[in-house]
Amino acid sequence: MLSWPEKRDVIGQSTPRVDAPAKVTGAAKYSSDVQPEGWLYGMIYRSRWPAAKVTGINIEKAKQIPGIKAVVVERDGERTVRFYGEELAAVAGTSKQACLDALLVIEVEATPLPFVVKEEAARNPNSPRVWPDAANLPEPNVREKGDVDKAFAAAAAVVEGFFTTPTQLHQPLETHGNTVSVTYDGVTCWASTQGIFSVRDGLADYLEVPHEKVRVITDHMGGGFGAKFGPGAEGGLAGRLSKAAGAPVKLMLTRFDQSLAVGNRPSSFQQIKLGADADGKMVAFEMNSFGTAGIGAGASSAGGGGGAGFPAPYIYVVPNIRVKQSSVAINAGQARAFRAPGHPIASFGMESIVDELAVKLKMDPVELRLKNDPNKIRQREYAIGIEHFGWKQKYKPPGSSPGPIKVGVGCAGATWGGGGRGTQADVQINPDGSVEVRCGTQDLGTGTRTLVAVVAAEVFGLKPEQISARIGDTQFPPSGGSGGSTTAASVCPAIFDACTNALQDLQKKTGVADARGSNWSAACRKLGVNPLTSHGKWQEGLSSSGAGGVQFAEVEVDTETGFVKVRKILCVQDCGLIVDKLTCETQINGGVIMGLGYALYEERVMDSATGVVLNPNFETYKVPNFADVPEIEVILVDMPERGVIGVGEPATIPTAGAIANAVANALGVRVSSLPITPARVLAALGKVGKVGSKA
Amino acid sequence: MKPFQYAAPRTVDSAVSLAADQGRFLAGGIDILGEMKDYIASPRLLVNVKDLPVTREITPGKESWTIGTNVTISEIEQHAELKRIFPGLQQAAAEVGSPQIRNVATVGGNLAQHSRCWYYRHRDIHCLKKGGDTCYAHDGENKYHSLFSGNPCISPVVSNLAIALAALDARAIVRRGREEVALSIADLYAKAWENPEAHNSLTGTDLILRVQIPDAGRRSAYQQVSEKASFDWALVSCAAAATVEGTKLSKVRVVLGAVAPIPWQVQAAHDFLEGKKLDDDVATQAAGIILKDATPREHNGYKVPIAQALIRRTLKQLVG
Ligand SMILES: Cc1cc2nc3c(=O)[nH]c(=O)nc-3n(C[C@H](O)[C@H](O)[C@H](O)COP(=O)(O)OP(=O)(O)OC[C@H]3O[C@@H](n4cnc5c(N)ncnc54)[C@H](O)[C@@H]3O)c2cc1C
Ligand code: SF4
Repeated sequence: MLSWPEKRDVIGQSTPRVDAPAKVTGAAKYSSDVQPEGWLYGMIYRSRWPAAKVTGINIEKAKQIPGIKAVVVERDGERTVRFYGEELAAVAGTSKQACLDALLVIEVEATPLPFVVKEEAARNPNSPRVWPDAANLPEPNVREKGDVDKAFAAAAAVVEGFFTTPTQLHQPLETHGNTVSVTYDGVTCWASTQGIFSVRDGLADYLEVPHEKVRVITDHMGGGFGAKFGPGAEGGLAGRLSKAAGAPVKLMLTRFDQSLAVGNRPSSFQQIKLGADADGKMVAFEMNSFGTAGIGAGASSAGGGGGAGFPAPYIYVVPNIRVKQSSVAINAGQARAFRAPGHPIASFGMESIVDELAVKLKMDPVELRLKNDPNKIRQREYAIGIEHFGWKQKYKPPGSSPGPIKVGVGCAGATWGGGGRGTQADVQINPDGSVEVRCGTQDLGTGTRTLVAVVAAEVFGLKPEQISARIGDTQFPPSGGSGGSTTAASVCPAIFDACTNALQDLQKKTGVADARGSNWSAACRKLGVNPLTSHGKWQEGLSSSGAGGVQFAEVEVDTETGFVKVRKILCVQDCGLIVDKLTCETQINGGVIMGLGYALYEERVMDSATGVVLNPNFETYKVPNFADVPEIEVILVDMPERGVIGVGEPATIPTAGAIANAVANALGVRVSSLPITPARVLAALGKVGKVGSKA
Repeated sequence: MKPFQYAAPRTVDSAVSLAADQGRFLAGGIDILGEMKDYIASPRLLVNVKDLPVTREITPGKESWTIGTNVTISEIEQHAELKRIFPGLQQAAAEVGSPQIRNVATVGGNLAQHSRCWYYRHRDIHCLKKGGDTCYAHDGENKYHSLFSGNPCISPVVSNLAIALAALDARAIVRRGREEVALSIADLYAKAWENPEAHNSLTGTDLILRVQIPDAGRRSAYQQVSEKASFDWALVSCAAAATVEGTKLSKVRVVLGAVAPIPWQVQAAHDFLEGKKLDDDVATQAAGIILKDATPREHNGYKVPIAQALIRRTLKQLVG
């Protein structure tokens, strides 16, 4: 069995991204930058009704608009649309303006239907049904263990709370989209995707061509967060437009469209009850929760990892539990997998109630966690965190800091699977000593190309910049989608195997006993005129799964204005063998910032009367700016013996819970809904008068 | 965006006459291009006013300062003398949007900008302000909306500059028909109080030429609270100005933003503060007077305590 070298020169160092110069200078071409010869703009016509029976779509006038080369309807015949923004037709033309003009003259015959866009309303049996044959709120999934009622009756302390989390939108800076060129020879797709092979297969099936006829290329892409695995309706439509127009079609969504139809993190409404004995050992847990995945719930498609269920009681071991969870359907865009699906939701509710229990028991919140979370790694991480954060000095009784601006601290933990397998890779060593590594993975923005170079450089005794890491092309050996924090753990072992094979082949062929490092050029020259190619694949023993991670937050809250400022987040994180310290830390920074957005700002706002998303832009769908980002300190717990484990997801899980706990610690009362806005802080403090009353 | 024609007149006369036939003035374009891209406005003609003479200067005077309509918000923010004399104005400018927006946005455009209500800004919603028959915010998502309104539209004024300029007793010099009229900031918005379709008192051909701010030796201050630390609209803003001797205030103005279709000021509060020594109690009482008639709706009641805090803090900043 292969194992990572004991002594590592490149792995574990801070290696800047190999593509950083290209990205900084603009030389790097993102999928949305690609401009193949003769390309056309593509745009989608979307439903303006949150629910309607569509009986006819007339595209004739659109075809007459100057510059328009193709117009297609998404589906022939009558159909029911179920949310504002559902795709109905698409146009391709020589300019964006031509497409916009064409969209204005598409005529749709439709009969509006009743709709419901708020979870609480949709639960009502009398509310309009999203799907005619299914109740909006199906029977809950029930999980039960032990005797919950008895355990609560015997518990020394019982706390209860109702927690809500919003629908969070995926907001990658590069919107969803593809450039698709359909020709007689086959299909080429430049995709903004986190799964080139899943785009290939999805697009091929949609266009009814063999998979091998489709080539997907993703050199650089601008983020996906779980919502960019397949070609999407936009990819399929771009393919049909390209075929009809006989030219490549670039169809990138607008920011407005991005907010409607390409995924979100489901909301949650969680009623939680937790009981413990006098020592703080948790004895009973009960949860009733629901949330919405948009139209997803109640229908066959749950949005691929985007369902409204989530783990409970999360990372804690409680002997007696009763959990009832359900998804309620509303007329809104479907959920999709979103960075650590389920976990930030689970973490916020559970970590909040755990802190309530600590307050009730008058116990230190970290101590209570250590008693009930048996995970050895997190135990170690809490110990490190307590020291570095100065927890013992900073933690004060809730609401006890003086003055109108109160400070508080909080913490929360995470668990994530990660791991990964299945990647294959080729290595080509050229007589001039240059090295190409080819692997059909993609860089979701996390630095995969750099990891490939780091691992290859380690094996060959070279520097990462001496390696040409070629990824993002389905003509390279296959790899999986970048989801579930599996990319590093799936790709790195394959690169290691391929490079180890290549080194052996090189040494055998040239007779050089150790071709690495300073011997490299001389050894390669001995190859003569033919390059050497070797293959490798993911092997057992170089990766594993199961990351933990804990975070500590320090906040200040202005009790007169409700404004929350996060001063500091400390993240203590394991992820097995650290391959590149720098990209690992930046992954964590990104995860924390995304968690900060979830904690304080982000929320899709649906309007009951009109059924639209009211904040389909960055003006009112608020994401953190630099001024909002606190000091982020990352302490990595390197565990090389465990092999590679991903880190993209665990780092975003506990941030919101830690911040919410810090806010509660500052105030002495809890804001039990995300995002924690000034409005909610002031309401929790009892400073907001009744509706309609004079101030 | 629908096709439009474009003109760049060099005289005020031609600018005004061009605007008369379904034209709209174009200054920095931050607001109007947004409206056009979202099909909220589809003017036949854009009349670029940036080339009009003497509209880009900041000019000190014996009694008052003059700021041309095309001065950018960045220029106000970075003007050392303005910052010294009218700190409230400088603070209000510094809080507008992002540096990119401030570099392009103009004084006139900022004052004349249209509603930011998210129903108004939605391309497929035809609310009262757009000539429809319903205010969706009334019983809908109204967390960013007004505490006071004289008409069914509860979209608040969001121009930071308007709030600071109101406190400074500034006047907007407006070309109206053949004349130049000097409007107080209250006058500039009065119509939005009564008429749901109005964003301010300007007609389509009323052209702001400049703003005049009396230099009366008063102190000024501006504060706002937003959901984010930067690049975010004010949930509530507050500007104050007064002559200060020790802690004694006179010629006091306190103005709230984002709580009414007009910059919100209450004469009774000004009268109350006249000649008073400022302490916590006085500030709190003033806030009580200013907010007396607030009518919170389902989601915006939190603006009341924020306004109270901002009134206290801004007044304190004056004497501090
Ligand atoms: C994301 C975002 C955030 C923002 N945040 C803030 C904020 O926090 N605070 C704030 O105050 N503003 C904010 N703004 C608004 C911004 O400041 C205004 O849009 C800008 O000041 C408008 O100026 P402009 O020169 O670009 O005007 P334009 O867009 O050119 O014009 C705006 C309007 O004024 C009219 N107009 C222009 N010049 C004149 C004139 N001389 N006489 C009469 N009418 C005229 C135009 O016809 C148009 O109706 C924000 C805007 C955006 C997009
Ligand atoms: S507040 Fe005014 S702009 Fe907003 S929906 Fe109501 S009428 Fe329209």
